[in-house]
Amino acid sequence: MRSRGRLRRRSAITGYALLAPSLFGVVCFLLLPVLVVLWLSFQSWDLIGPITFVGLDNYQSVLSDGVFGNSLLVTLIFVALVVPIQTLIGLGAATLLTRGLPGSAWFRTIYVLPWICAPLALGVVWKWILAPTDGALNTLLGQRVEWLSDPALALPAVAAVVIWTNVGYVTLFFMAGLLNIPGQILEAARIDGAGAVKMFWHIKLPLLRPTMFFVLVTTVISAFQVFDQVYALTQGGPARSTDVVAARIYYEAFDAFDLGRAAVMAVVLLVILVVITLAQQFYFRRRVTYEMD
Amino acid sequence: MAKRSTIIAAGVAGVLLVIAGAVTALNFSSSESSSDATTVTVRLWDEQVAAAYEKSFSAFERDNPDIQVGVEIVPWDDYFEKLRTDVAGAGAPDVFWVDGGSYPAYADAGALLDITTALPADAQAGWSAPVVAQYTRDATLWGVPQLADPGIAVYYNADLLGDAGLTADDVSALTWDPTGDNDTLIGVLQKLTKDYNGNTADSAEFDGSNLSQYGYNAGYDLQAMVLNYLASNGAQFQDESNQYAFASDAGIASFQYLVDLMNKWQVAPSAADTNTNGDFSREQFLQGKMALFQSGVYNLANVSAGANFDWGVVRLPSGPAGAISGVDGIAAAGNAASQHPAETQRVLEWLGSAAGSEFIGASGAASPAVLAAQPAYAAYWTSENVDISPFYDVLAAGTAPAPRGAGWPAAENAMRPLLDEVFIGRTPVDSGVRAAQNAANATQTE
Repeated sequence: MRSRGRLRRRSAITGYALLAPSLFGVVCFLLLPVLVVLWLSFQSWDLIGPITFVGLDNYQSVLSDGVFGNSLLVTLIFVALVVPIQTLIGLGAATLLTRGLPGSAWFRTIYVLPWICAPLALGVVWKWILAPTDGALNTLLGQRVEWLSDPALALPAVAAVVIWTNVGYVTLFFMAGLLNIPGQILEAARIDGAGAVKMFWHIKLPLLRPTMFFVLVTTVISAFQVFDQVYALTQGGPARSTDVVAARIYYEAFDAFDLGRAAVMAVVLLVILVVITLAQQFYFRRRVTYEMD
Repeated sequence: MAKRSTIIAAGVAGVLLVIAGAVTALNFSSSESSSDATTVTVRLWDEQVAAAYEKSFSAFERDNPDIQVGVEIVPWDDYFEKLRTDVAGAGAPDVFWVDGGSYPAYADAGALLDITTALPADAQAGWSAPVVAQYTRDATLWGVPQLADPGIAVYYNADLLGDAGLTADDVSALTWDPTGDNDTLIGVLQKLTKDYNGNTADSAEFDGSNLSQYGYNAGYDLQAMVLNYLASNGAQFQDESNQYAFASDAGIASFQYLVDLMNKWQVAPSAADTNTNGDFSREQFLQGKMALFQSGVYNLANVSAGANFDWGVVRLPSGPAGAISGVDGIAAAGNAASQHPAETQRVLEWLGSAAGSEFIGASGAASPAVLAAQPAYAAYWTSENVDISPFYDVLAAGTAPAPRGAGWPAAENAMRPLLDEVFIGRTPVDSGVRAAQNAANATQTE
């Protein structure tokens, strides 16, 4: 009895020791910052002055602030634009690329290139491409379109750049999912007379649910947190039409130097993301097919 | 054979030892140089002045072998974000540049060295009085004056003036008037603005939506445009209690005039270009696509290096209240939490001396705030055949102060998006400017 207990204790110690490095990372770089942000949300601080406890004042100020309300709305529209379009394009591209067509390997590399580049650098390049005067796109079109300074066009333009950046990432995962589908299942469907469309809807798509779950969770989170491209392209303008929550947090913290309000916005964003992720998990829980045999 | 748990514990201890060693080494290497000299770090945003500083500090180090000075350049766009976080994290350099809008918050937080008491009184003599006044708060000086931008003037492209049948004299005494009664500026700008078909803005065929050559820059540029147009029409940007007061009738008329130059007369780049790219007008001028470019001496070196056409400088347009220019200065502040206070004070004293500042003036990089170093600046530009007197002559008519008060960053953050909409023409000038003023003042009361 005693030796079994000692064995279990030793196993536990070994387990914790092996976990220690990643646990250290999670605690120091994830848990602690979240707790600090939570604590900051109840303080007033401009980074250089004294930190003062203000209770719920920051929450009251932020939640009644029309500018933050606008940021939430802009972010929701942005997510609604980006996630479905990049998922559809990624799925379509993955389907084509797994058919072994000539040049597929070349296209696979091309699609992934934007995703591995620094988003800020890509934003700067796209700012030049979309510039109203002497911009590459307007020069090509032969007419002046104010892509980034017209409030009606700015958000779709930023969304297009983000979709262009992320499509390779989405494609990569769908390709892995499609290639993971056992050949005998597809063969059996083909023998049963299923065409390409039926096969996609009734065989491939259901078997892609785990991939779909992963892709949707990660892309929704990343779309809610978009910052680099907005910072490089529009800085939240014009008329706050691209003032997404992450950008608003940045400007509140580092332009207005109001860390307390910025922390409240970060907490709100965290809560939204947790709720959405849980909802996605709930939705996919009974639908995800992890086993194929 | 050693126990597994012992091996794991030894492994963990080893990793921690390596991390601790690395951290110690980093700390050691950042605080001490390889020699016995103490390193004092100086941070600024201007590359040209930084090059002058390098020469200046070489001379300083020859006479002060116990001190090494390291110059850090942080680009303007990120400068104050980085400074704030560095001060908060106790990682700020020993000496850093501040501007008039940023220093009050640091002074109030006790992050800056009190120059009034830190430097000997004789070392504080001979500095530009307006810059000293700008960096004095509650009777305490919070920075060693470094740059004293004189007034704003207008750079002209002589080739484009010639193409329009004009000379420098024709643009050296222009007037602007919101009522139009005494306005000579718009007519000249119409001659200097062309569409892609070569039609000038004063012709009936002119297509203002498609410009190939701009007459002037009129976008939101506080120092080069807004402060001067407000003051030249008798309006204030801030009142005596530092409240924002630019939405007076005269102030709104000034904004309206600038907005009309872009959107009604179409003689300046659209705000669609200038709102998101603060350097757009300078780029157009340097590319030979803008005839008149209103700016300060801070662009002299850029224009001198980048313009491959004949150019010169004339006085800025005179408004109903005269030709009144905004003035601004830059100071080097000492870090109150510096690990080397004595050495930091010696570096600051050098920066405020004629010998230390001479290098800034002699390189033509910027106008020094140390009066004894200013002749070297004038001499440099004379040797380059550039007459910089319009930047100085304009000061005789009076000056408009730069934004002041601890709340300027928050105020600008609140009003800028609203003014961008005014300049692009989507918001009417009067309501937009009033909303911007209210937004700016609201940040001061929070």
